[in-house]
Amino acid sequence: MVIPEISWIAIAPELFLAVGAAAVLLVEVQWKPPPRTLGLIAGAAVVLASVFSVVQWFEVTDAVAAGSPGDLIVFSGLVVMDGFAVFGRFALLAVTGFGLLAGWRYIESLGRRGAEAGALILLATAGFSIMVASNNLVMMFLGLEVGSIALYVLAGMSRERARSDEAAIKYFLLGSFASAIFVYGVALLYAGTGQFEVLEMRNFLSGFVVLSPTVILIGLGFVVVGLGFKVSAAPFHSWAPDVYQGAPAGVVGYMAAVAKIAGFVAIARILLTGLGALDADWLPVVAAIATLSMVVGSVLALVQNDVRRMLAYSGVAHAGFIMTGVVGGSTDGVLFYLVVYALQLLGAFAVVAAVSGADTSESTLDTYRGLARRSPVLAGSFTVLLLGMAGLPFTSGFVAKFGVFAQAWSNGFEWLVVVAVVASVIAFAFYLRIIVVMYMDESDVIGIEVPGTIRWVLVAAVGTTVLWGLLPGSLLSLAADALPL
Amino acid sequence: MLTWLILLPALGAVVVLATPRARKELHLPLGIALSVLPLGLAMHLFYVFEPVAGYQFSEFRPWYEPWGISWSLGVDGVSMPMVVLTTLLVPIALAASTSITDRTKEFVVYTLLLEAGMIGVFLSLDLFLFFVFFEVILIPMYFIIGIWGSERRVYAAMKFFIYTAFGSALMLAGIIALAITHGQQYGTVTFALSDLMNLELGVGVERWLFAAFALAFAIKVPLFPLHTWLPDAHTEAPTAGSVLLAGVLLKLGTYGLLRFNLGLFPEASVDAIWIMGILAVIGIVYGAAVAIVQPDLKKLVAYSSVSHLGFIVLGTFALTSGGLQGAVIQNVNHGLTTGALFLLVGMIYERRHTKEIAEFGGLQKVMPVYAGFFLFMIFASIGLPGLNGFVGEFLVLVGSYATLPVLAIIAATGVILAAIYLLWAYERVFTGVPDKEENKVLSDLSIREVSLLAPLAALVLLLGLYPNILLDKIAPSTESILDHIEASTDYRVPEPGRLGDVLVAPVAEGD
Repeated sequence: MVIPEISWIAIAPELFLAVGAAAVLLVEVQWKPPPRTLGLIAGAAVVLASVFSVVQWFEVTDAVAAGSPGDLIVFSGLVVMDGFAVFGRFALLAVTGFGLLAGWRYIESLGRRGAEAGALILLATAGFSIMVASNNLVMMFLGLEVGSIALYVLAGMSRERARSDEAAIKYFLLGSFASAIFVYGVALLYAGTGQFEVLEMRNFLSGFVVLSPTVILIGLGFVVVGLGFKVSAAPFHSWAPDVYQGAPAGVVGYMAAVAKIAGFVAIARILLTGLGALDADWLPVVAAIATLSMVVGSVLALVQNDVRRMLAYSGVAHAGFIMTGVVGGSTDGVLFYLVVYALQLLGAFAVVAAVSGADTSESTLDTYRGLARRSPVLAGSFTVLLLGMAGLPFTSGFVAKFGVFAQAWSNGFEWLVVVAVVASVIAFAFYLRIIVVMYMDESDVIGIEVPGTIRWVLVAAVGTTVLWGLLPGSLLSLAADALPL
Repeated sequence: MLTWLILLPALGAVVVLATPRARKELHLPLGIALSVLPLGLAMHLFYVFEPVAGYQFSEFRPWYEPWGISWSLGVDGVSMPMVVLTTLLVPIALAASTSITDRTKEFVVYTLLLEAGMIGVFLSLDLFLFFVFFEVILIPMYFIIGIWGSERRVYAAMKFFIYTAFGSALMLAGIIALAITHGQQYGTVTFALSDLMNLELGVGVERWLFAAFALAFAIKVPLFPLHTWLPDAHTEAPTAGSVLLAGVLLKLGTYGLLRFNLGLFPEASVDAIWIMGILAVIGIVYGAAVAIVQPDLKKLVAYSSVSHLGFIVLGTFALTSGGLQGAVIQNVNHGLTTGALFLLVGMIYERRHTKEIAEFGGLQKVMPVYAGFFLFMIFASIGLPGLNGFVGEFLVLVGSYATLPVLAIIAATGVILAAIYLLWAYERVFTGVPDKEENKVLSDLSIREVSLLAPLAALVLLLGLYPNILLDKIAPSTESILDHIEASTDYRVPEPGRLGDVLVAPVAEGD
């Protein structure tokens, strides 16, 4: 038996995350330290993982420059360490780091159970991180499940609240159903192509003419449905509003952001790399999902009276915009959009957490009335983030939207771009609705204390929104280099 | 230099933002002082501006090269007057806002940001950059209407925003299409206006793109039947908001039609002259007719804007020298006179807290100076010879008679209607005997208020008596627009529509 060569560097970030998760739990059991210590352990794990993903980035650049990209396929083809994976992983780690900060007050408030929440966050990231680097679809499924199951538990962490329970159960039932569909799709893809590995599928499809690709297409459809659920694209979005509303405010931003990043990286990898040869078949389907997501998300967000549900539906719309980038056929627009949106989403939920307190789900529009007077910092940050999500020029959101629209247009999907710009305008209306309530309505409630950890998250989210709006080149050129093999 | 013109107000906003919130009395004077800086710079640029075609003081810095986006600025005869007008109206609008006592700081910040955005639109020579500024303007204006407006302010602000954002969204699709078409034809994606003007577009594609751009600008102008947001926005906006809205924001639409629709889609523009002309004339007559019956003074001025801007669009799509020059100079004229009229309405509103015409009567006995300014601006707005409005409307009517004679004749009735609604309003508000007790005790204009109106009145008179200070600088640029259209289409400006025709014609007859 040949023992496959182990490339430690390719899985170093996941190792650190997993070890960090275990350390958090064990240290808590053994020494019962103050929460701050556990936070430092978790933070150290994320930082070390990030350092190693930077190292990976240089490995990738070297290998590509040396003309030996084959070296980047490791563990007998299970894992691939390409720029695409490393970029996605780095985005996940950034979201995790800031997610820990944003949720810190909530984690602290859980007392002894705070360690569980911290460990679950690290585990979820480890799972999604291996998912974005999977070349083998079974490996991808494992990563997806590790990440998803951790998220189901996180959603139900506030056991005392019925809404949190409901959110967790709903997320779990629908989520495992979607995972099952994904696995079935993988099986059918295997049946059709004889391969589990994305790169081998590509070689197979470019090397042979498949006379009746029905099985492959059904498998493809199932895979898209399964992942479409994870990224809350319409019509697979119905869980999102309830989960976003019910899950603890401190961690819901993190949950939404990592699932979106991992899901879309997987979608882009399977569709653009593995099944790129069949694009004539899947482009219309993805375009239809994109259209539906943008329209449903924008229109339903208009009628919500709860900021969290509004953000959930806006997430559906954003899934549609990112799908537009997939239709555009290039990965850099998708990656840029993902990073930009994930940070904005995280920042927005940090505001929600600060306004409604760590553990309640009270986030009706009324609680934001006159926020500009109660806390100018929160209101100002929220405004920038909302405008960024809406895609106002001079924010990163505009550059992101512009990028995916331009790519879709040049790929021949003019009609989709027209739908997308109209949906963007509709979306403006509900983002403005929140801003109206914050600035144009009076309130007599006295100020809100913003925790220091949340301040850091807001600085990062608002800072990047403005920075990449003014100078998008720094991130765009990185995204353009982060190509899948 | 031009970058500074945008940066000065933006930095001014930052400076104001940095001042402590508690020092309320500081913000407005500081804002006024800071907004005088760009005015000085703009006047200097206007002074050294050479009366030749082409862009001057151009600046070019790549922004993000793979997408062909650049920070590309420049002014020509079409945009130069607009820049001066913008920088002039902002300090005046700020100085007229002493009644705003709540959240003054934010108000000043938004106004300065608005100024930066408006100047940016006029200076941009890159479509991406242009769109960025065009959109960014919406936010400060949205806040100005939504926070400091009157009762139905939130509704009006939202209506304003959604209307304009919808139009510009489709324009964004059009801009993307142009850049990608350039990529397909020349190998490089670019958003530079000068490059995109050379594209070979099919007739069908060009018409669609023309429509996308025209829709965005027609909403902004606003052109009938897309004007319904305007009366709401104007009535609800605070005085400064109305002044800038009428004075500059609406001009973004007419400017865009002139610069982008004529420049990028000459073929489609030539095909569209009747459609655009008819819509413009409907706007002229309809706006005037509706203005006659308005019981609210501010709404009356708002509808008069719909009517007056119809003239500008008509002049633009007349595609003659006179029409284009008239359109550009009328942009300035309307900014001055309507800006002044909104100031005047604001001044009486601060005193009486009503804008209902029926509430007034006999004011000229109580407030003679106020009445004098009002009458002067009304005359300018009607187009009394010797004042600026006459120059613009005359040029537009003469210019459009060459290509669209029927429409020019109908449009001329707009001048008469203007006299009806404005003079009738004057009669009801100012003449007779003051019968209401509240009206008898009104104080006349203060020195401060007179000093706001005086520069506008002086310019109205100056441009009326000697329009050449503007026309000399405008003409080369408008001529080059016509040259471009004649070079890229079969369209020929009918004689004597071109500037040269009038001058050369007698000589031609001589031999």
